[in-house]
Amino acid sequence: MLKFVVRRVLWTIPIILLVIFMTFLMMRAIKGSPFRKSERAVPPAVLANLNRKFGLDKPWYQQYFTYVKDVATLDLGPSLVLRNQDVNSIVKEHFPVSAELGGLAMLLAIVVGIPLGILAALRANTVTDYVLMLFANLGFAVPSFLVATLFIYFFAAKWGFFPTNGWDTWSSKVLPVVALSLGPLTYFARIVRGQMLETLQQDYVRTAKAKGLRWKRIVTVHVLRNSLIPAVTAAGPLLGFLVTGSFIIENIFAIPGIGRYYVTSVSGRDYSTVMGITVLLAILIIVANMVVDILYGYLDPRTRDQRT
Amino acid sequence: MRKRTLGWPLGLVAVLALALVAAGCGGGGSSSGNTTTTSGASASGGTLRMAIGSEPPSLDPGLATDTTSALVVGNINTPIVRLGKAPNLAPEPALAKSWDVNGANITLHLRDDVKWTDGTTVTADDVVWSWLRTISPQLGADYAYQFYGIKGAEEYNSCKPSASNQQCDTLKGKVAISAPDATTVKVQLTSAQPWFIQQLSHTSFIPANKAAVTKWGEKWTDPGHNVSDGPFTLKTWKHDASLTLVKNPDYYDAASVKLDTIEMQIIPEGATAEQAFNSGGVEVNETGWPPSDTPRIKGTPAYKQFPSLGIYYYGFNTKVITDPNQRKAMALAIDRKAIVDHITQTGQVPATAFSPEGIPGAATINKDAFLTPTANMDEAMKYWNKVQNPVKSINLVFNNAPGHKEIATAVQAQWKKLGMTVTLKQLDWPQFLKFLGPPPDASVGVYRNGWIADFPDDINFLSIFECGSGNNNTNWCNKSFDALLKQATAEPDQAKRYDLYQQAEAMLSGPSGDMPIAPIYWYTFAYQVAPNVTGWNTNPMDTIDLTKVGVS
Repeated sequence: MLKFVVRRVLWTIPIILLVIFMTFLMMRAIKGSPFRKSERAVPPAVLANLNRKFGLDKPWYQQYFTYVKDVATLDLGPSLVLRNQDVNSIVKEHFPVSAELGGLAMLLAIVVGIPLGILAALRANTVTDYVLMLFANLGFAVPSFLVATLFIYFFAAKWGFFPTNGWDTWSSKVLPVVALSLGPLTYFARIVRGQMLETLQQDYVRTAKAKGLRWKRIVTVHVLRNSLIPAVTAAGPLLGFLVTGSFIIENIFAIPGIGRYYVTSVSGRDYSTVMGITVLLAILIIVANMVVDILYGYLDPRTRDQRT
Repeated sequence: MRKRTLGWPLGLVAVLALALVAAGCGGGGSSSGNTTTTSGASASGGTLRMAIGSEPPSLDPGLATDTTSALVVGNINTPIVRLGKAPNLAPEPALAKSWDVNGANITLHLRDDVKWTDGTTVTADDVVWSWLRTISPQLGADYAYQFYGIKGAEEYNSCKPSASNQQCDTLKGKVAISAPDATTVKVQLTSAQPWFIQQLSHTSFIPANKAAVTKWGEKWTDPGHNVSDGPFTLKTWKHDASLTLVKNPDYYDAASVKLDTIEMQIIPEGATAEQAFNSGGVEVNETGWPPSDTPRIKGTPAYKQFPSLGIYYYGFNTKVITDPNQRKAMALAIDRKAIVDHITQTGQVPATAFSPEGIPGAATINKDAFLTPTANMDEAMKYWNKVQNPVKSINLVFNNAPGHKEIATAVQAQWKKLGMTVTLKQLDWPQFLKFLGPPPDASVGVYRNGWIADFPDDINFLSIFECGSGNNNTNWCNKSFDALLKQATAEPDQAKRYDLYQQAEAMLSGPSGDMPIAPIYWYTFAYQVAPNVTGWNTNPMDTIDLTKVGVS
């Protein structure tokens, strides 16, 4: 197990280097300058001053090595667009917000979605199952911005149960977390149901029943563990997405998270912020995948021996 | 029989649902959402909550370029001058209590009772130091070009600082601004510029506090470090979430400031800002709202609209559409009124010329405007028929912000009547700018653009189309036009100057002009303002004076 973790951690370094390189290339390829924000042209002298100040007048390979050095020393540099802020403080201030939003949404999705899937599978082809799957399919199909806007209109503006925007009080967190969790929740419900139905057909379940084990024990000890594997597979990358891909929810609810910064910094060509957040996201996904692999080992002993 | 219990899955769901509802009901009413202001029982005083559309990129007067930053910077500091009422927008004393204009020599006499929040007095040295800082190449200020009218400023801003040579330091010494005593600032301009005093109302001329900048460096604008000299001070700044301003009791005119606290919530999404306003979460919605809601909002008493010195226009690539007669035909064929009435809908004014309606002197400048608010297809066809080889198929390029596509689609249909095939090309902002150049990409036939005044003088609009201007994306270059503007710049008599502007405008949009652009509409500013808010104001330069605003 330890060897596995160490190997994974060492692999992270070349992966991050590759991510930096690809991000660097792509940001340069889409052209545009971080310094031209309005229709007004920037006089050549001013542009030259700005490029010099942020090191953008240096050759591309020098800029690349500067970025790599910055990431290695964890000093991600100043933001090119937000002139009095540096990327480190931006990340420090806003990443916890997105992490909390994404984490709570993930928790809700797991705690509600998986039991719903189990219930639907145990009650397969009954009214309960149909109702739950209708809810799941609707929840998956309706886009999150529509759900978010409807939530704000009804629950916040019209009926006044919650605030319309922000992330300061307990109640302001409810609507965005629920809106964000809907997609993963319904996804979990559907795949857990599907996998459970398949597992319930297995021979060993019939054997267990024949042996006289209590149904509750069969489900919780034998069936559940095998049914959760696809859910765990999805959970890793989903967590990464939830934390940084919550741009739409953060924008609609005016939540000061990192997802919003990420998208606006790409369209604003804020190179240092884009680089910093991309690296963060890459590390996050790597860690999430590693946790998923470890969970696999627990859920499915067969994979343990294959792992190196 | 095997007993199937609903058991723990459903139980858990039920508990969770109850918990959610309980949290909501428990926390709902008391948060920043739905109750009215809790502070200030006094008649003046009170808290104003407003929704603003974005995080201010910088609160450094030297670096603030966008309207959100200007809103905060302009209200926590005292500008050099303020602008009076439209249409003249004459300069009014603020930090400068009076001024002398002698051709290219300007003398500002500052008040001696404006205090920084660290207790020291604002002096002429502060002004000179700040201006030199903003002009310096090291700061990389976008608006350094606002200072190019000052002798020596452009040279200093353009130099390349290096450790080996002293060139930049020498050039710094040659910038013609000085402080002979604590309340006098002397400026020598490159030539007479009749609008210079009005230009001083811009936030880039506001002095920054030297001690704070030196001590805190890049972080000097943060609350706690920030030192300002205006009617309000910056109390909190939660990045990307909110800003709070509080009244400055040491402001020299504190008695006239009505509000105690201003809470600005950053709500970038128009739909959410509208709901925040409707639910009583904010008293002013500065962010805006989805365009489709405009007809409904216009009918409410909360809707407030103000004229703006800005224009939305289509520019022609004169190397693609080479015949001025075709350009005139295309300009005449646009139905501006339909666009304003059915697409934009916030009271914009159909533009019959490039110089906006509210600019001082507009009556003279636009007196021979020949474009009409509605389409004039008869005239258009007359010009069209004069064209030898009309260009029938072109690209119309615009950026992907709301509203542009709808307008482009309308104009596409209008130009179809001339027999043209217009292909719409929507690009994201930085790529759009790349296509614009100048010079514009060869594939661009027509492009969408806008311009908002830097200062209230028509030279700011007309000079866009000078031959070498970085904002001239038309490939149109006319030496007589440039000569007219040069003559106008040197003309001290206002009436004569407006005449010269009128001749220049005629070359742009008149019947015997070249029509390098087709004006569409002049901008307006629109807000939702709650009925208990008094004195909400926005001048045509998009300056909001929060000292005049009160909450009852």
